[in-house]
Amino acid sequence: MPYKIGIDVGGTFTDFLLVDENGNLEIYKVLSTPEDPSIGVFNGLLEMAKNQVLSISEFLKEVERVVHGTTVTTNAVLTNTVSKTGLLTTAGFRDTLQMRRGIREELYNNKYQPPPPIVPRHLRLPVTERVDVEGNIVKNIKSGDVWAAINKFNREDVKAVAICFMHSYANKTNESIAAKMVKKKMPDVYLTVSSELLPQIRFYERTSTTVLNSCVGPILKGYLRNLTKKLSESLFDGVLLIMQSNGGVTSPHIAQEVAASTLLSGPAAAPVAGIAYTSTQEYKNFITVDMGGTSFDAILVENRKPFVTTEGKVNLNALALPMMAIHTIGAGGGSIGWINEGGLLQMGPKSAGASPGPVCYRKGGKEPTCTDADLVLGYLNPDYFAGGKIKLDIEKAKETIKEKIAKPLNLSLMEAAAGMYHVINVNMASAIREITIKRGYDPREFLLVCAGGAGPIHAAMIALELEIPKILIPKESSIFCAAGMLFSDLKHDYVRTYHTIFSKDNTDINRLIGLLKEIEDEGHAILKKEKIPEDKHRIEYSLDMRYLGQYHEVNIKIKKEHILEFDTESISNIFHYEHDRLYGYSLRKEGTRIELVNVRVTAVGITEKPGLQEESYQGPDATRHLKGSRLAYLPSEEDYREVDIYDGMKMGYGNHLAGPVIIEQVNTTIFVPPEYTVDCDAYGSYMLSLI
Amino acid sequence: MSNNRIDYILVSVLQRRFRSITEEMGLTLLRTTRSPILNEARDFVTGLYDAKGRMLEQTEYIPVLAFAVSGVCKYIFEYFGDDIHPGDVILHNDVFTHGNQNNDVAVFKPVFHGDALVAWAACKGHQADIGGAVAGGYNPEAREVWQEALRIPPVKVYEKGKLRKDVWDMIFANIRFPIVEEDIKAEIGGCVVGERGITALIERYNLDVFNTHVEYLFDSTEKMVRNEIREIPDGTYHGESIVFYDGVKEDSQMKINLNIIVDGTDINFDFTGSSPQTPGFVNAPYAATASAVLLTFLMLINPDIPHNEGIVRPIKIINPQGSFLNAKFPAATTFGNSITGPTSDAIFKAFANALPKMVSAGWNRFLGFTLTGFDPKKDKPYVDILFLSLKGGSGATYLCDGYDHIGLINCAGGILAQDYEMFEIHDPHFLIKHEYMIDSAGAGKWRGGLGVETEFRIDGKNVTGIAFGDGIEKGAEAFGLFGGKRGTLNRIELQYPDGRISAAKSKEIIRDIPRGTIFYQRAAGGGGYGSPYERPVQKVLQDVINGMVSIEKARDDYGVVIKPETMTIDKMATERLRKGQANIDEKGGGKAD
Repeated sequence: MPYKIGIDVGGTFTDFLLVDENGNLEIYKVLSTPEDPSIGVFNGLLEMAKNQVLSISEFLKEVERVVHGTTVTTNAVLTNTVSKTGLLTTAGFRDTLQMRRGIREELYNNKYQPPPPIVPRHLRLPVTERVDVEGNIVKNIKSGDVWAAINKFNREDVKAVAICFMHSYANKTNESIAAKMVKKKMPDVYLTVSSELLPQIRFYERTSTTVLNSCVGPILKGYLRNLTKKLSESLFDGVLLIMQSNGGVTSPHIAQEVAASTLLSGPAAAPVAGIAYTSTQEYKNFITVDMGGTSFDAILVENRKPFVTTEGKVNLNALALPMMAIHTIGAGGGSIGWINEGGLLQMGPKSAGASPGPVCYRKGGKEPTCTDADLVLGYLNPDYFAGGKIKLDIEKAKETIKEKIAKPLNLSLMEAAAGMYHVINVNMASAIREITIKRGYDPREFLLVCAGGAGPIHAAMIALELEIPKILIPKESSIFCAAGMLFSDLKHDYVRTYHTIFSKDNTDINRLIGLLKEIEDEGHAILKKEKIPEDKHRIEYSLDMRYLGQYHEVNIKIKKEHILEFDTESISNIFHYEHDRLYGYSLRKEGTRIELVNVRVTAVGITEKPGLQEESYQGPDATRHLKGSRLAYLPSEEDYREVDIYDGMKMGYGNHLAGPVIIEQVNTTIFVPPEYTVDCDAYGSYMLSLI
Repeated sequence: MSNNRIDYILVSVLQRRFRSITEEMGLTLLRTTRSPILNEARDFVTGLYDAKGRMLEQTEYIPVLAFAVSGVCKYIFEYFGDDIHPGDVILHNDVFTHGNQNNDVAVFKPVFHGDALVAWAACKGHQADIGGAVAGGYNPEAREVWQEALRIPPVKVYEKGKLRKDVWDMIFANIRFPIVEEDIKAEIGGCVVGERGITALIERYNLDVFNTHVEYLFDSTEKMVRNEIREIPDGTYHGESIVFYDGVKEDSQMKINLNIIVDGTDINFDFTGSSPQTPGFVNAPYAATASAVLLTFLMLINPDIPHNEGIVRPIKIINPQGSFLNAKFPAATTFGNSITGPTSDAIFKAFANALPKMVSAGWNRFLGFTLTGFDPKKDKPYVDILFLSLKGGSGATYLCDGYDHIGLINCAGGILAQDYEMFEIHDPHFLIKHEYMIDSAGAGKWRGGLGVETEFRIDGKNVTGIAFGDGIEKGAEAFGLFGGKRGTLNRIELQYPDGRISAAKSKEIIRDIPRGTIFYQRAAGGGGYGSPYERPVQKVLQDVINGMVSIEKARDDYGVVIKPETMTIDKMATERLRKGQANIDEKGGGKAD
């Protein structure tokens, strides 16, 4: 009985989706264990084994694939708890990382503060050396500088080193020499060399990406070492894959070398899941939102293609690896309600997370959270949280909200809890505005695909705020990203800089083919290492090009034949077309010359995906799934009303209900306000429609 | 939807859409232009205007150009009257018809819905050259506008979609570098993106709905600004500031004399009494001074107010003609944008006591250096308006240190230093150093932003350098506030291959710079806020460990004694020093610098 498991470690919960060979799905959810996330992972695996009446080893022997998304790297950067890192850089340029080219993101805000540098200045050490713009070594590396820096790094007990020298994309000799010296004297340090990680022009972006990779490297490595050790001790013999921010997966030994590719990877599986779940719908344009315990992630998917960017930023530091363009704010079930100096109620971004967690968990939480408000408002069932596994203390929640919110604001308990609910909904609606209206899209034209344990309680009110007419809540919404991981392919991105005028006369076609082959081979080799058979490899080719003298490039997708046949005309035409589409004009007629800057390859290893199972038709009548009723708050009435509760575990294809109703599943509660109706589709997902 | 009913969601959708269209236009320029001053330094603005030229929204990377487009748009609308057609493209740069600087060339494209003119899309960017006596446009020797630039009062380069080749060729026959022609094409491309965006919006919501909602947007923005002004106590506030050296007469000084009158929800900036216009190019056209006022004002209010016509309605500016802040035709005025710093200084000083928590101490004044010459490797002429080396620090504010390496206040941190590798690809220059400068920031409870030092070797031939700026004369340091210390002074030096070193004046043309000369610039730090003796000791120590403040300065300015062998605080000595200073303070010392 070969199983596949998707595991998504969040700030509050660790989610699991277990799929057997027949496509049967089971959801598991355990509290995250931030001090060592692998503990939570194993707690979940143990629970699964128990449910199959197997020991953990017997169970894991049956598992052929585990796909794992981890937030350890992202959290480290966001909370400024990365590994202590030293930077070796060309003498004269030690501040580029902190300067960020001197940008202030908010022009008129004189109180705007830049993020603290990931590597403080006294650990950014200069090395006398120089490569010029053509790749010539004009100054040999002064080994004394490197030794001195290594001594200082050892004294300061740094755990990681980044090396980034000027123009190293054109000649990596000096970087390699320095790397050798570091490896010799600091054998245990995590080392990233810019010419190996991202041999691409632009000193700031390369430096920042290299440093980010180093400063999270030891954290990821330690975590993965721990996890794989535990797994193999339990006789796991399948394939472990790690989620990356580009929406693909990779094997652990590769992930730990390119640790930065896991930065912001947490929500990267959501669009993949969204595409899978909407494949049964006619919608091609949708917004996936994922509201967990700590954060709310949103991404726009247009024409089934998620937005991808190479201009990513982590805490305002450039990260030039290709990644999903996901917008994240601090809003989740654990978001803490508080009152600011102006006497206004605020929700988050601080979260009670998994520990101490919301007050009602009775794990020592003292601050009122979103989950506490949801409980007081009657959306959550205190006896059926996580299917009854966690008893919620409603009295404690009431007491705390009264004390910390209602009293100071002179409100009733209901008004205070309703205020918390409303404020966090508006915050999440604004996050959706950021990725839609701000980019010129009207949210009313998109389907809202809502995920996350806390999401479906809030989805309808967020949608109402934006007048979004349709909301899809997948049956597995509570573990949406875990599901997305099982739908992800393996994916590796490669880049080489080859700066030349692109024409039959100026471009050395053999060099170009050579570069392409080099990175293509690298891609095949890695996929092979990951045991993906050759017929499941898909290689995507693209070029970064620009008109002669321009500064920025347009990435154009091409076919391999275009290069092999040196079909400059087709390639030029694709470039002119893209330039026109993006920027309103092309210079085809003028015959302006085109420059090639980078050659890129994405190597995709296609994985076998679980199939969605169609349910049998139940008809519209859902009365037999009525569990009872309870008082719940209706925002439109500004008061509690008796609301019917349905058993979501039994509802099925065709069932139709009009709001207000509450649907309870083991791991999710769906609140359908009077403004919406709800229908179950053939795959067990709920479709809410604005009346 | 009925025409007089306002759909509030639609108002915010429109506002955000305008914003995103102008951002997309900006991206187009960023991605497609050739000159680093546009694609790396981002010295441009993109905007949308209604049929009458009123600002709908704009994306300003560089604020000083930004508030000088709407006036030109209104002027063009009057100038051409009924002679505006679909497919027209109009160019403009003239400072005597509402332009702010000769080098800032704007492209306007009218947007039609059926037969009706409904809006304008515009891009305005600083061009690498605009004709005139010297390459690059900054000419300290100019005495009239014609020695500075080719004047372009509005001229159509496309009429009804057809290129007017003769006009086009005449313009570019008078401009030195071919990239300018390409960059104007990019600006036209940006306008096409804007036109597409706004056409789609109007088709979708229909023109009447569009217009009523735009009016509502203007009104609601005006209301937001008025609410902000209401917060400032009524009264007249006086501020002064000095501009050093007019480029003609040694030791000359020009005074900005400013009275700000706040009356309810109206605000009036009165520059009467400022120095008369200068014989050289240290003069501003009206639009440049108005832009300086606006961008400084925006720093004192809620930063989230949308940028449209409504924002300027409560603001009046009195700026009599003939002063160096509103020079008469045909004065030379290319230095005008660079007077923004001193103008902001006067505004911050005026409001220091009324808005102590909002104003900032002085920002480092702008000192630029343009290099032109011949690139032997590429075998063609080049120009570099050196945005890499000129970004100094900003002034500190209540609760916040100044921003390091932010650059001139005109740009408010929107201007980017060039990436080093791209800098060397573009120009025949070999970079030696670009780092923060130790002890450059004015000390304070909150210190000023750090300045930077830049050093590179000039590998070009027949190179000419043009200095234009301020902040090198004693007294031109960024001012401190409430006991904070002044920032430091700017400096540019050339070290010739024969070993000779010469410092540039703040306005000067230096010819025949030999190949191999080393260029060195100090862009200084900003002013401090509050007494440095109140700065937490640990913060001072961190700055010393990181090499941003010296041990000597920590002791002398901050009263913090650090033991050099261990890099730790000498607590006793520090306490002694700081107590001593407190005694002096009580006796009435430690006044604002």
